[in-house]
Amino acid sequence: MVRSVLRKAAGWVLMIVVATNATFFLASWFLDPRSNFRELRPVRSEAQIDQALAPYGLDPRVPVVHRWWDWLTSVVLHFDWGKSPTGVPVNGEVGYRALVSAELVLVATILSVVVGVALGVYTAARQYGFADRISQAVSIAVLNVPTSVAALAVVFVAIWLNQHAGLRFLYVAGENSPDVTGTLPVIGDRLLHLILPTLTLTLMGYVGYHLTQRSLLLDTLDADFVRTARATGLTCGQAIRRHALRAALIPTAASVAFGIPAIFTGAVITETVFGWNGMGRYFIQTIAKNDVHGAVATAAFAAALTAIGAILADIATVFLDPRVRVS
Amino acid sequence: MTLATPAPVPAATGAPAPVLSVRDLRISFPSEAGPVEAVRGVGFDLLPGRTLCIVGESGSGKSATATGIMGLLPPSADVGGQVLLEGRNLIGLDDRELSRVRGRSIGMVFQDPLSALTPIFSVGRQLSDALRVHQDLTRRAAWEQAVELLDLVGIPDPRGRAAAFPHEFSGGMRQRVVIALAIANRPSVLVADEPTTALDVTVQAQILDVLRRAQRETGAGLVLITHDLGVVAGHADDVAVMYAGRFVEHAGVEELFRRPTMPYTARLLAAVPTVDGGERRPLVPIGGEPPSLVGLPAGCPFASRCAVALDACRADEPGLREVGGHGRVACLRAGEIADGTLDPAGGAAPADDRVPAARAAAGEVVLRVEDLVKTFPVTKGAVLKRRIGTLHAVNGVGFELRAGETLGLVGESGSGKTTTLMEILRMRRPEGGRIEIAGTDVATLAPGARARALRQDVQIVMQDPLGALDPRMPVSQLLAEPLRAAGRDRASIRARVRELLALVGLDDTAGARFPAALSGGQRQRVGIARALATEPRLLALDEPLSALDVSVQAGVINLLARLKSELGLAYLVVAHDLAVIRYVCDRIAVMYLGHIVETGETEAIFADPRHPYTRALLSAVPVPDPARERARERIVLEGEQPGAARLPDGCVFADRCPLYRRADDTVRQRCRTRRPEPALVPGRPGHQYACHAV
Amino acid sequence: MATDATPHAPSRPTSDAPARTAARPAPQPAELGLGRLYLRRFVRNRPAVAGVVIFLLLVLFSAFGGRFTSYAYTDADFTALTRPPGAAHWFGTNQGGDDIYACAVHGLQRSLVIAVSVSVLTIVVAALVGAGAAYAGGRVERATLALVHFLLIVPSFLVLALVSHRLAGDWRVLIVVLTVFGWMPTARVIWSVSTSLRERDYVTAARFMGVGPLRIVLRHIIPNLGSLLIVNLTLGVVTTVLSETALSFLGFGVQTPDVSLGTMLADGAGTVTSAPWLFAFPAGLVVLLTVSMTLIGDGLRDALDPTSVTGSAGGRR
Repeated sequence: MVRSVLRKAAGWVLMIVVATNATFFLASWFLDPRSNFRELRPVRSEAQIDQALAPYGLDPRVPVVHRWWDWLTSVVLHFDWGKSPTGVPVNGEVGYRALVSAELVLVATILSVVVGVALGVYTAARQYGFADRISQAVSIAVLNVPTSVAALAVVFVAIWLNQHAGLRFLYVAGENSPDVTGTLPVIGDRLLHLILPTLTLTLMGYVGYHLTQRSLLLDTLDADFVRTARATGLTCGQAIRRHALRAALIPTAASVAFGIPAIFTGAVITETVFGWNGMGRYFIQTIAKNDVHGAVATAAFAAALTAIGAILADIATVFLDPRVRVS
Repeated sequence: MTLATPAPVPAATGAPAPVLSVRDLRISFPSEAGPVEAVRGVGFDLLPGRTLCIVGESGSGKSATATGIMGLLPPSADVGGQVLLEGRNLIGLDDRELSRVRGRSIGMVFQDPLSALTPIFSVGRQLSDALRVHQDLTRRAAWEQAVELLDLVGIPDPRGRAAAFPHEFSGGMRQRVVIALAIANRPSVLVADEPTTALDVTVQAQILDVLRRAQRETGAGLVLITHDLGVVAGHADDVAVMYAGRFVEHAGVEELFRRPTMPYTARLLAAVPTVDGGERRPLVPIGGEPPSLVGLPAGCPFASRCAVALDACRADEPGLREVGGHGRVACLRAGEIADGTLDPAGGAAPADDRVPAARAAAGEVVLRVEDLVKTFPVTKGAVLKRRIGTLHAVNGVGFELRAGETLGLVGESGSGKTTTLMEILRMRRPEGGRIEIAGTDVATLAPGARARALRQDVQIVMQDPLGALDPRMPVSQLLAEPLRAAGRDRASIRARVRELLALVGLDDTAGARFPAALSGGQRQRVGIARALATEPRLLALDEPLSALDVSVQAGVINLLARLKSELGLAYLVVAHDLAVIRYVCDRIAVMYLGHIVETGETEAIFADPRHPYTRALLSAVPVPDPARERARERIVLEGEQPGAARLPDGCVFADRCPLYRRADDTVRQRCRTRRPEPALVPGRPGHQYACHAV
Repeated sequence: MATDATPHAPSRPTSDAPARTAARPAPQPAELGLGRLYLRRFVRNRPAVAGVVIFLLLVLFSAFGGRFTSYAYTDADFTALTRPPGAAHWFGTNQGGDDIYACAVHGLQRSLVIAVSVSVLTIVVAALVGAGAAYAGGRVERATLALVHFLLIVPSFLVLALVSHRLAGDWRVLIVVLTVFGWMPTARVIWSVSTSLRERDYVTAARFMGVGPLRIVLRHIIPNLGSLLIVNLTLGVVTTVLSETALSFLGFGVQTPDVSLGTMLADGAGTVTSAPWLFAFPAGLVVLLTVSMTLIGDGLRDALDPTSVTGSAGGRR
C-alpha cells in the first residue's frame, strides 16, 4: 500500500519535471525579454540589448536548447531558478511569495472540499427539499460568477461591514499592516489579512464539490447495496451515511488534484484584486515584464501544488477504499 | 395489534395464522405516458414455513410486489392496499418505523449478488452491522454470530473469509452472503427476488438449497419470485401466476402443474423448453406480446393473446374466483378448462411454423475449427502493466459445422464459449490452431475484396437485441447498414430491406420505427434480419434467446428453424440454457474451462450423457413438473468453476468431479496428471467425451 | 474471457425493477415522437425556459442595442467624464468619457461571438479526439490520454496567459488560443463515455458486419453522444465566457481599443466604490449570460437524458 502510493507519487514528480521543462520552451518562445529594453531611453541597439541579457542566460542569440540546458543544470545543481531580465534573482522573489500562496491555495482547497462535500451530503439526503433547492440555486449562481466579480463583491461586503458594523479585522488590501511590530502581532495581522482572499477562493471552489458530490451520492443512493443495507433495517439516512457516502467520496478524492489548477487560477485573480503579493500576482508581473525564468518558476510552483494535492488525494483514496489496501 | 382482516384462505380451524397477509396491493409509477400500473390489486396469505412462488414474465409486476412488501419502493411510487406483517400494516409507515421491521421481521434476498453488497466493507462487518441494528450485541459477539451465519450458508473457512471483501468472492458465494444478511435476525418472512437469475445453473441448485436450509433453520415463510417454472416446480408450496400486474392463477403447486387452468398459465407451460427425458415435444408459442401497463384497456389483459377468449372477456376484467379442487383463477372459462371440456390452447398448434421433422442432409463444411487457442494476459498495476499470469480462455477447441446444421456450444460463464465465437468472427489468424471458413483459412486472408466477401458469409445475432441495435437509427437503416458496408447500390438495398422484413415476419411499417418502439421479440427479429442481409452461409448466434421472455422465445425458436431449412444456413449457437439448446441444435459441444468435454448429437447427449460434467449440468436444470422435479436424483456439483488463470496439468474438471471422488487411486492419478483425450461412444458416431473415470 | 466473463443471465429482462422502469423513458416515448417528448420535458422545466428567454434577449440586445444610442463604443464624450447613469448616457460614462451603454452592447457582442465560436470549435475537436481515441484503443488511446492528462495538470491558464500575451489582442486569435488550450476537459469526458459506447453490442455488431472504423465513429459513436455534446456545448459557452473574462481582467485578453465584458470588468474594478456603475453593468451582463446558459444546459440535460448524472460542474474555471 505504501509502495503503491510511493509509485504514484513518483509518477507525479515526473509529471512536474516534464511540465516545467515544457513551460520553459513555451515561455522562451512567447516572451521576448528584449522588448523591455526597447522602451528605454537612450535608445539601445539590438546588439546592446542582447549583450545586456547575456549574463542572465536570456541572450536570444544563444540557441534555446543551450539556454535550457544552462537553466536546467543551475536548477538541479544549485536550485537556482535564474534571473529576471533586469537581473533580479528569481529565488529571492519567489521564496516568501511561494509560502503565502501555497498557504492560500491549500487552505482554500481543503475548505472547499470540506464545505462542498458537507453541503453535497446534506442536500442529497434532502433531495428537492427546501434546503436543497436554495443551496442548489446559490451554488449555480456562484458557479457562474467570474472570480473577479466575486472577489469584488466580497470586497464590497467587507467594506460595508467595516463601516456599518464597526468591524476592524476585515482587510481588503495588502498582506500586512505597516505599523504592526512584534512576532506574534505580525503573524496575527497576516492571518487577518488572509481571511478575505481565502473566503473568496473557497467560495469559488466549494461549488464544484457541492454539485458533483450531490449527484454522485444521488447516484449511489440507487445502488443495489444501499437497498440491501436498508433491507437489513437501516433507515434511509443511516444507509446513506454508513454505506453510500464512503463509496461516493472515492471519486471526489480522486478529482481534488484536477481541481487545484482551477483554484490556482482563482488565486491569480484574487491576489490581483486584494493587492496581495503572492505567486499569482508575481506571475502576472513576470509575463508583463517578459521574465522567462520567473514565469517558469511560477509554473513549476503550480505543478508542484497540483502534485501535492494529487498525492494527498491518493492517500485519502487508500483510506476510503480498503480494496486498495488488500490488493 | 390484531389481525385486521380475516384471512379468507385457511378455512380449516386450528390452522396457523399467516405471518404475512397482503390485501389488494396496488403500486403505480409516474411516467411520461401516464401512470404505469405495475401492481393492480395483489393479495395472498403466507403461512410460516411455507413457500409461495410468484411467477411471471418481465413487466408482470412481480418484483414491484416484492419491493412493495419490503417498503423499498422509490418515493415517487404510489402504493395502496395493505401489507400485514404479523398483523401490523406496513403500508403508510414512515422510514423510521419500517426500518425497525425490515431485517428483523422480514428479510430480503436480491437478484444481482455482484452489486448487492457494499464494496468497501468486509462481509463480516456487513453481517455484524446487520445484527447490531436490531440486537444489543458487542462487536465481538456480533462478529462471532456473523461467522456462524457464514458457516450456515456454506461458506468454507467462515472465520477466515469473514474479513474478506465482497470482490474477493464469486457470484454464488456473494449470494450466500446476501442470504446470510437476510436471515441474520431470524425474520419470520423472507422475500427472495429472482435470487438465482444472475447465476450459473450448477450454482443455482446450490443457492436454492441454501435458501431452503435457511428457511428450515428460521421457520420463516418464503416469498420466492422467479420467472423459471422449473424452480417453481421444485420449491413452491403455493404458486401465484402474475400477468399484467395481477394474480391470474393462485393454486397449490400440484394442482397448478397438473391442470393449469388460466389459459395464460397453460400456454406458458406449453411454451417452456425442457431438458428431461423422452421425446422433445414441439413448442407452441403464445403469440403476441404482454400488454403495456400504461392505460390498460378494459377487459382481461390476456384476451388479445388468448385462443379461447369470449366477447365477455374483452368487456370486463374477471377477478380471481375459487375453482373447485384447484385454487383461484381469474378466467371466465376456468370452470370449463378445469373439468377438461375446453382446451386452453384452442385446438392444435399453428401448423405453418412447425419444426421440420427430418433434418436435411448436411451439406458442405462451412466452418472448421482445429485446436483453437486463445489466452488473455492477467495484468496488474495501473500505469505500467505487469503481466502476472495467463488466462487460458480457449484451449485446443475443434469442431466442424456443415451447411444446414446447427451446432451448440454449451457451458457456464467462463467456459470459453463466447470467446470461441468471437475468435471465429474476428477473422484474424488465431493465437493457436486453425479457423477455416467456407474452405478459406482465415490466417491467409489479406484485407481486401476477398476478406470483405468472406465477412459477408459470416454474420452474428447478439444476445440483447436492444443493445445490438443502434437506438438512433430506424429499422430500415439498421438493415441497410451491412448492405452498405458490402457496397450495394441504393435501389437494391431498398428492395432487399423490404424482403428481409417479410422474411422474419415483420410488416413494412416496422421499417420506419426505432428499436425503442419495438417489442423484445420484434427487436430480435430485426437482429436476425440484419444478420441475414448479406445472405451469409454461417450465422453465429450468441445467446439469441436469453434476453427474451418464455412466451416470446418459442416464436423465435420456430423462426430460426424455418430460416435454416429455407435458406440452408449453418448455425453456431452459444448458450448457457440447455433447454433452449435442445430445441435449436442438431449437435452440441459441452465446454468447461476452455475445453470441449463432450460432443455429439443433441438427443444422444440428452438421453445418455457420458461426461460427469454434462450429467451434472443436465441434472441441475430444474424441470417444470413438480412430481418429476422432486423425485429426480440430482447431481449437485460442489464449488464453482474456477478461474482459467492456473489450469491443472490433468483434467480441468477433477476438482469438482463426483466421479473423481469415488474413483480409485490409479484413476485419480491419471485424472491428476493427464488431460483426457476424447473417446468415442461405441455405436454412436460423433458422440465423444473426454474423461478418465467413466 | 473478456467477453465470456460477463454472465449472460443477468441481462435477462426478468427483473422488472420498478425504480428503473419509472426512471427510463423507454418504451412509451417512441409513440410520442422523440423530438416532441424532448421539447415537452424541456418546456416543463421553468428555469430552463427562463434561461432561453434571457439568452435570446441578450442576443437581441447585442445585435440591435446599438441602434438606440447615438454613441459608438469608440466615441469619447469629453463633456461627460465619469457620469452616473442618466438620460444622456443610459449606463453612465467612464473616466475617458466612453458611453458605457455602447461599450456594453459591443462588449457583449464580442464576448458572445468569442464564447459561441470557441465552444463550437472545442466540442468538435473534443468529440473527434475523444471518440476517436476511445474507438482506436491501444497505443493511440494511451498517448492521447497522456497528453490530455498532462494538459489538465499544467494550469492551462498559465499557458493561456503566456501565449495570449504575445498573440492576442485580436479577438480572432483569442478564439484560436482558447480553443487550442481548452478542449481537454471535454475530450476527457467524451472519451470516458465513448469507452462505454465502444463496448456496446451495436458497435461490435457493426464491426462484424464489416463497417469501417471512421464510419463507426461518425455513425454509431458520435450520434449516441448527442445529448452529452449538446449539453457540453451550452456549458462550454459558460466556461469560455469565464476564461475570457479572467484573461481580459488580467490584461491578457482583448486589447484596447476593442472592448469585451472582461476588459470592462477590469476597467471598472478599480472604482467599485466611487463609480460602481462601471463595474455593475458588465458584471450583470456576464452573470446573466452565464446563468442563462447554465440553465439551458441543465434543462437540456434533464430533457435529453434524464438518467445521466454527468456532473460536469467540477473543474470549470
